[in-house]
Amino acid sequence: MNVSGTPQRALRILPVLLLAAGAALAADAATSAAADERPAGQRLYGRHCLSCHQADGGGVPNMQPAIAGGTWVTGDARALALFVMTGGFDSAQRKESDNSNVMPAFGHLPDEDLAAILTYIREKFGKGASAVTPAQVAEARSGIPAPSGQ
Amino acid sequence: MRTHLVRVVSLAIAGLAAAAAAADDSGLKLPEGFSAVVVQEGQGTARHLAIRANGDIYLAGRNGLIAMRDTNGDFKADVVTPFGDVKGTGILIHENHLYVSDDVGVYRYALDPNELVPKGSRETVVDGFPRERQHADKTFALDAKGTLYVNVGAPSNSCQEKDRQEGSLGMNPCPILEKYGGVWVFDGNKLNQTPADGRRFSTGIRNAVAIEWNPGANGLYAVIHGRDSLDTLFPALYTAEDNATRQAEEFHRLTDGGNYGWPYTFWDNKVGHRVLAPEYGGDGKKAPEAGKYPDPLVAFPAHWAPNDLLFYSGKNFPAKYQGGAIIAFHGSWNRAPEPQAGYKVVFQPMKNGKPNGAYEVLADGFAGEIADNNPRNARYRPVGLAVAPDGALYVSDSQKGRVWRISHGGK
Repeated sequence: MNVSGTPQRALRILPVLLLAAGAALAADAATSAAADERPAGQRLYGRHCLSCHQADGGGVPNMQPAIAGGTWVTGDARALALFVMTGGFDSAQRKESDNSNVMPAFGHLPDEDLAAILTYIREKFGKGASAVTPAQVAEARSGIPAPSGQ
Repeated sequence: MRTHLVRVVSLAIAGLAAAAAAADDSGLKLPEGFSAVVVQEGQGTARHLAIRANGDIYLAGRNGLIAMRDTNGDFKADVVTPFGDVKGTGILIHENHLYVSDDVGVYRYALDPNELVPKGSRETVVDGFPRERQHADKTFALDAKGTLYVNVGAPSNSCQEKDRQEGSLGMNPCPILEKYGGVWVFDGNKLNQTPADGRRFSTGIRNAVAIEWNPGANGLYAVIHGRDSLDTLFPALYTAEDNATRQAEEFHRLTDGGNYGWPYTFWDNKVGHRVLAPEYGGDGKKAPEAGKYPDPLVAFPAHWAPNDLLFYSGKNFPAKYQGGAIIAFHGSWNRAPEPQAGYKVVFQPMKNGKPNGAYEVLADGFAGEIADNNPRNARYRPVGLAVAPDGALYVSDSQKGRVWRISHGGK
């Protein structure tokens, strides 16, 4: 530490240091307790979606598309729920996409988790699109044909 | 007399301008004694590059091919000419031909003496590879005789029944390996071949964008893109931190008949040995049958994305670089939510074709601060490498199409 500064200067620096130390402590605490304190939608987005679509919803060029502001996220909630549950393997959009990676299906997630994720991305990336309820997800799910043989 | 003075002053000013132009304007972090200049920028999504004996530079890219020439010796490209209709990554010069590749084939143009842009139409060396989206670039290497080694990347992360689907198990045996996930060999001097004319040289290679013939060791080498998404696909076994760090980018010498373990295994940087992939019965620790797959020469950190490789034999760099490997790491995306990493050019000392000491960073500072931890926001991403006749190293970037010239000793 620089000891040649005037007392006034030291006094000016001290609060900054205290603030920095406080922020560091807060950051540590946030890291250690983060997992379960984030809202469910954000936590589940981090768990299932973030590595491909990234924290800012911006996607990765040529790999996975941006979802922020996109019509899937801002548009019809039922269509969005259906797409996320079934993935992009057979979608018409897939054929026109320049992105290398395919969207897997998330139909194995419960209605509540899907509703929380969809609400989160519509809130954060959807230009104010409405929240999605578990009932809406269940309704969309009822329209998916059962796999053959079942 | 006065006219003479004006001429001298003008020359002096021109000299100063040239010296200023050659000063390091690169923004790169380099070891002591090295400096860099920006050769060119603005040609879009650049990929690999090749340099001819007369110094002409050829850049492959997603938007097509570009020929560049420095006409006044300041290392800046003064002539920049798009040509041809091949959009891809691979590009090499062999015996007065410029070889280039896209997602479905390898082609070549005859180079005319002293003409920057090839005049003749392109010839097909091999084409007809199935059009895929994932790991589709047919990067390649050529040995001195013109044997062509083509990287046929696997259109899959880990050969799951449903690609990148949580919990989906691996197909066993992995049918993708019949046509992909390996290196196929062709006669690079023969035209109009199809994939069926090739022979599988080695297998178990997820995607070797960085593939290169090493004349000093008379062998084929590659740095392989390791698998993604351990944590999202198998959350009971792996955390996000595990996914960000454990699966190595493996550097191998590829041999005829060699099998490098994809998709059944990967080299785990944490446990320090090869492990079974979770799609194939792996539990985070279990090793495959001993001796079945080779250990990597070097296990690089996860997700750094090795996108080009060369072996240095130029005159400009200090002696320790001779015969060593230089690798361009494009940088990660799948490390998120952990901080992204890679985005640098690395030097791996080699002796007799084998690693000789630890790797070190040769050039860094490409990416800058990556806003929102999203690779889209990296300032630059190193993607291609070539050595000029004077021994300087050229590096290309995929974000803005920038090309740097890195040299030692102010030369």
